[in-house]
Amino acid sequence: MLTKKQNLLETIKGGNPDRFVKQYEFMHFIMEAPGGRFPQPGETIKNDWGITFKWPEGQLGGFPVHDDEHKVLKDITEWKKYVKAPVIPTSDEAWAAAIAHANTVDRNEEFVTLFVAPGVFEMTHHLMSMEDALMALYEEPEAMHELIDYLTEHELAYAKALIDHIHPDCIFHHDDWGSQKSSFISPAMFEEFFLPAYKKIYAFYKANGVELIVHHSDSYAANLVPFMIEMGVDIWQGVMTTNNTPELVKQYGSQISFMGDIDSGVVDFPAWTPEIVAKEVERACRNCGKLYFIPCLTQGGNWSSFPGVYDSTNEAIEKMTKEMF
Amino acid sequence: MSKINEVKAMVEAGKARLVPGLVQEALAEGNAAKDILQGMVDSMRVVGDLFSAGELFVPEMLMAAKAMSKGVEVLKPLFEDQSTSSLGTCIIGTVEGDLHDIGKNLVSMMIGSAGFDMVDLGVDVTPAKFVEAVKDNENVKIVACSGLLTTTMTKMQETVQALKASGLTGFEVIVGGAPVSAEYAASIGADGFAPDAGSAAVKAVELAKN
Ligand code: B12
Repeated sequence: MLTKKQNLLETIKGGNPDRFVKQYEFMHFIMEAPGGRFPQPGETIKNDWGITFKWPEGQLGGFPVHDDEHKVLKDITEWKKYVKAPVIPTSDEAWAAAIAHANTVDRNEEFVTLFVAPGVFEMTHHLMSMEDALMALYEEPEAMHELIDYLTEHELAYAKALIDHIHPDCIFHHDDWGSQKSSFISPAMFEEFFLPAYKKIYAFYKANGVELIVHHSDSYAANLVPFMIEMGVDIWQGVMTTNNTPELVKQYGSQISFMGDIDSGVVDFPAWTPEIVAKEVERACRNCGKLYFIPCLTQGGNWSSFPGVYDSTNEAIEKMTKEMF
Repeated sequence: MSKINEVKAMVEAGKARLVPGLVQEALAEGNAAKDILQGMVDSMRVVGDLFSAGELFVPEMLMAAKAMSKGVEVLKPLFEDQSTSSLGTCIIGTVEGDLHDIGKNLVSMMIGSAGFDMVDLGVDVTPAKFVEAVKDNENVKIVACSGLLTTTMTKMQETVQALKASGLTGFEVIVGGAPVSAEYAASIGADGFAPDAGSAAVKAVELAKN
């Protein structure tokens, strides 16, 4: 039997996998690395960039607060006045827990993986609200280019710290680029503003020992796949069914792999059942096939909102392995 | 070419800086304010259709809406005493527990530009607040509920039920948001559903006219 790592590589290189990859099994997340701070349920926090996040009790997650008082970036033309990148921790102490954890991983079996979030696009709207960020692309393109360069430089510095301390094999990089039916911005605008940033970031990781770039966007983004390929994404995680995943596998499979096609919204809800999960997993596996495809919940991480859904999805995938391999 | 056509073209192109001047010129040319307004409403419908078709994206929608609102500012003083032919009031909000509002705001812009007076309750709106808003506002024809989280879809159902059980009448309830389907909308007793902002406006007009 292939190791998790070998089986993943066979799958994405069009070789001979001996089973379906079970969602995130090949990624061993090192969550202790210093990085962005997110609130816990019931908490309101201000992160290192000054962005206020609120997670009201009883809700699914945190949310950046954008009323006039809390918005960090109040005027894009004066972004230099408002946006101050945080200092990246350098002390051994800050990295010790992450390093210790990474040392326990058998790198032949799994990929030592770092979770990077938010992405560059997400940063623009966390700083100034989605509406302001999207309109600024039209109204103040120069300032937006400058801001994006600044965010990219910070990401590169952070990437260097991650590489120096952990030597990751895989980066799981978050940046939601769309709603379920469309990308937030046109491909042309994406190419102008965000492609150059990501080309720099992903090339830097690749040049420094990172074998695998997994980009998360649980959305429609079929129109951005050529750019994903160009920037060096190996696996697009979060591909929703609205993208027509089987078609993407056919068209781009040898250049990029697709991880998802099981929409979290359809299976991960209070009244979920193993039957619904099994039906979705079977559809995904049969339609997308064994190569260049990893059946997975579209959500970004190895867990589910409702207890049991993630494991139930793994069981259903094992069942499909028995039937199809 | 009439100036109204230029106004329309610039609304569609989202040129907020140019539209006010062109509206002035259109007025100077002798066009009635209501015809200019109608022209801009038509443009927003074009923009909404292109968005539905996947040819335009969220920034273009926002820019067009901003351009139109700049044009409306110029026209507003001219409408002050005569009430324009409103299709009625539309109450809109994102349901309790849910804080997503980009989709809701686009829907609000489109329904507003189709001729409704909008009352936007914001996000995290309880069923009771929706009911209260129907009571507190005049001529409510549409209540629109947005929801993006599967976890709060039950709140959407509660909201529809609370509205239907309130004894208030004269309005229809429409629902939408990424996880909502026509079947789900029907199953919770909503009167209408639309998959995107452009069709939400069409649906609202259709229901209000019945
Ligand atoms: C942008 C976004 C955010 C932004 C929101 C910014 C804002 N001001 O709204 C931020 C980053 C703040 C955010 C936060 C969170 N999010 Co969020 N978010 C998204 C994302 C990527 C896009 C949503 C969006 O804006 N789409 C663009 C608009 C234009 O589309 P739309 O909303 O679908 O609206 C259109 C139609 O649906 C329709 N429509 C909408 N409303 C209505 C109403 C009526 C009446 C009608 C007729 C039509 C209609 O017309 C609209 C325009 O065409 C989605 C992913 C996705 N695939 O959808 C996740 C998503 C919705 N979020 C999700 C989650 C979980 C969260 C969080 C809990 C944080 C987290 N852990 O990720 C918090 C939410 C806290 C809370 N209590 O609400 C999940 C929900 C999962 C689930 N089980 O349901 C999603 C699906 C992502 C995911 N899979 O993890 N999010």
